[in-house]
Amino acid sequence: MEWDSNSDLSGEDDDVIEEEVDDELDEDGEKLGFMLSGGGAALPFPIDSLLQPAPCGFVVTDALEPDHPIIYVNSVFEMVTGYRAEEVLGRNCRFLQCRGPYAKRRHPLVDSTVVAEIRRCIDQGIEFQGELLNFRKDGSPLMNRLRMTPIYGDDEAITHIIGIQFFKEVNIDLGPLPGSLVKEPTRLLDKYRSSLSSSGPISEGNRTISRGFCSILQLSDEVLALKILSRLTPRDIASVGSVSRRLYELTKNEDLWRMVCQNAWGSETTRVLETVPGAKRLGWGRLARELTTLEAAAWRKLTVGGAVEPSRCNFSACAVGNRVVLFGGEGVNMQPMNDTFVLDLNSSNPEWKYVKVSSPPPGRWGHTLSCVNGSHLVVFGGCGRQGLLNDVFVLDLDAKQPTWREISSLAPPLPRSWHSSCTLDGTKLIVSGGCADSGVLLSDTFLLDLSIEKPVWREIPVTWTPPSRLGHTLSVYGGRKILMFGGLAKSGPLRFRSSDVFTMDLSEEEPCWRCVTGSGMPGAGNPGGVAPPPRLDHVAVSLPGGRILVFGGSVAGLHSASQLYILDPTEEKPTWRILNVPGRPPRFAWGHSTCIVGGTRAIVLGGQTGEEWMLSELHELSLASLPYE
Amino acid sequence: MASSTTGEKKILTLKGGDNEEFILEESLVLQSELLKNMVKEERVSSIPLPSIKSKTLVKIIEYLKKHAELTPSNKEEFKNFEKEFVNVVLEELLDITVAVNYLKINGLLEFCCQAVADRIKDKSVEAVRKIFRIESDFTPEEESEFRKETPEAFEGDLDDTTN
Repeated sequence: MEWDSNSDLSGEDDDVIEEEVDDELDEDGEKLGFMLSGGGAALPFPIDSLLQPAPCGFVVTDALEPDHPIIYVNSVFEMVTGYRAEEVLGRNCRFLQCRGPYAKRRHPLVDSTVVAEIRRCIDQGIEFQGELLNFRKDGSPLMNRLRMTPIYGDDEAITHIIGIQFFKEVNIDLGPLPGSLVKEPTRLLDKYRSSLSSSGPISEGNRTISRGFCSILQLSDEVLALKILSRLTPRDIASVGSVSRRLYELTKNEDLWRMVCQNAWGSETTRVLETVPGAKRLGWGRLARELTTLEAAAWRKLTVGGAVEPSRCNFSACAVGNRVVLFGGEGVNMQPMNDTFVLDLNSSNPEWKYVKVSSPPPGRWGHTLSCVNGSHLVVFGGCGRQGLLNDVFVLDLDAKQPTWREISSLAPPLPRSWHSSCTLDGTKLIVSGGCADSGVLLSDTFLLDLSIEKPVWREIPVTWTPPSRLGHTLSVYGGRKILMFGGLAKSGPLRFRSSDVFTMDLSEEEPCWRCVTGSGMPGAGNPGGVAPPPRLDHVAVSLPGGRILVFGGSVAGLHSASQLYILDPTEEKPTWRILNVPGRPPRFAWGHSTCIVGGTRAIVLGGQTGEEWMLSELHELSLASLPYE
Repeated sequence: MASSTTGEKKILTLKGGDNEEFILEESLVLQSELLKNMVKEERVSSIPLPSIKSKTLVKIIEYLKKHAELTPSNKEEFKNFEKEFVNVVLEELLDITVAVNYLKINGLLEFCCQAVADRIKDKSVEAVRKIFRIESDFTPEEESEFRKETPEAFEGDLDDTTN
């Protein structure tokens, strides 16, 4: 009887259940919702009572199966514990004694003598009554006054065990749940209680209206209401939340907002946003609003400790979670570098730290550094001591002993520098254009899937390519679409800075480049003067929802490179807009390296300041407000 | 459960809220997780579902039949049927959704939830209130605060005729 030894279900006698629940039924049970009664047929236990939305948790386990799997839980169980039926069916009930879904052991505060008593009762085939400490899915404690009753079949064997759980809040401060990112703000039990005392069940009389949407808003249907709302957009949720108090409360659910954001932005975007530690992250609702309106966007100056030495330029940087990683670059006398530095923005006093890594790639500059597969960095190409490179190296930053590993693949792209790269689906490196031997500009696009064991380069075949270029940007939007902007592009025998925008949808069977807007393309003129002046070596940030934000780079004339421009390529006729934000932008935003941390912070490293490459004074464009400010 | 047998096929009876009885093959009912569990665990020949209106039950049974006949060749036809299935007045759609949620007919539940969500999509606050017949219980101050905080919520589609 393993089941019992660890389970915290309560059981009741057939009779007891019937009595109790029938009472419920008479008062309000019948009106509460669906009911299923035995219909006179012989039932080994009173199934109608199981299906009553009684104010207690109700669990049935199969005592004939090993480890007594749960075969039924009622909606109160789901609401109070936070575990959905589909998460717990087939499992033994003892997980309620573990704090949160990831804990492996019974929590030390759970009274083991009670657990032993449960086991004894079950072994002897008798009813158990007692109190046991349980935990919700979010890790918060609750006291479970439980009754467990064995149900006997025809042959005197126990076939089922019924548990009835009367939950109450318990005031123990256990501290935050380790590893939990989101603190569950809604106490469903509280809501459930207040609904019991105030609103009461739906009665037959007001069916016409309250059986409508309002019935979905009744507490017993909260899970269903959230299921419906999670299919909407952030704007829709804001709209629903302004309808009435009840809906306002309902739309404050953090899980709902997470799902809504994920639907609207894609899971890769939400994953990146989640890399920011919980305490430093806004709620999803607030984040959705701020990233839509950009009302909180601001420039900030950031002073960090440590140093990147020897000093260098033309390095590459990218973000891994909340860490900025810098690799390689051009030292004095055009010395190609191959060292790795990390700046952890989670720390209270961030500082540059040299990272000791085994078997580093050959030194280089003008390469790309991208983040794939969570904590892996991938280096491609650049200019080394022997000339241009087309090799690929990967480093797992979170490995115990970080080691660069070369990925060799057949048919790699031509050796190149000043190309552009981006990461698709979090696993695929995309490389485009750049400068090949003897200064030839390239226009090709390659893909390397790093989620498979032996990655193979694949050129994306297209019938037409935009003019070849270097120093452009590639951004991913709308899941699997890429957007190319700017760069130094070939135009006949000449090379010009470009402000062209091209897109390609890589989810299509035969992807092709499309010209969205630009200067040189017929029929694609920019309305008005708000398009960013042509540039190269700039920054492009993909915003959740598909918009692209551009700033910096080498711009001709007197234009301020730090002016922000924004484009929504998902619009029918995408139009550039200027975005003005407060704060002090970097004075120089040319020759910098930039990386996007946590999806909302563009960290500008260095920049053309004449002589020195200052890496201790950083500029940051934050697109959302910081919760601790 | 379910156990009158005619020939090879097991038959069982569902009893709607107004005591109307629906006799159908057990195989159809198995699409409902809830009823499937009961059929597996228990032996009953009739299942009362007093809180599901017969009208709603008729719709759901219609769906179960169509779904059981689904083959790769009539996929298009089934899609059209699904579209028509949720093309009902809102109240009826909600009745169906609540019932399907209770019966745990998973595929249909997803579809119904999307259909309900589609009725809210892109609507302004006022439109949602009218469509779902909900009166605002905010104070005028709170209301104007909302308008200031989330103007986009009030700028949605004002059309409230979706039914």
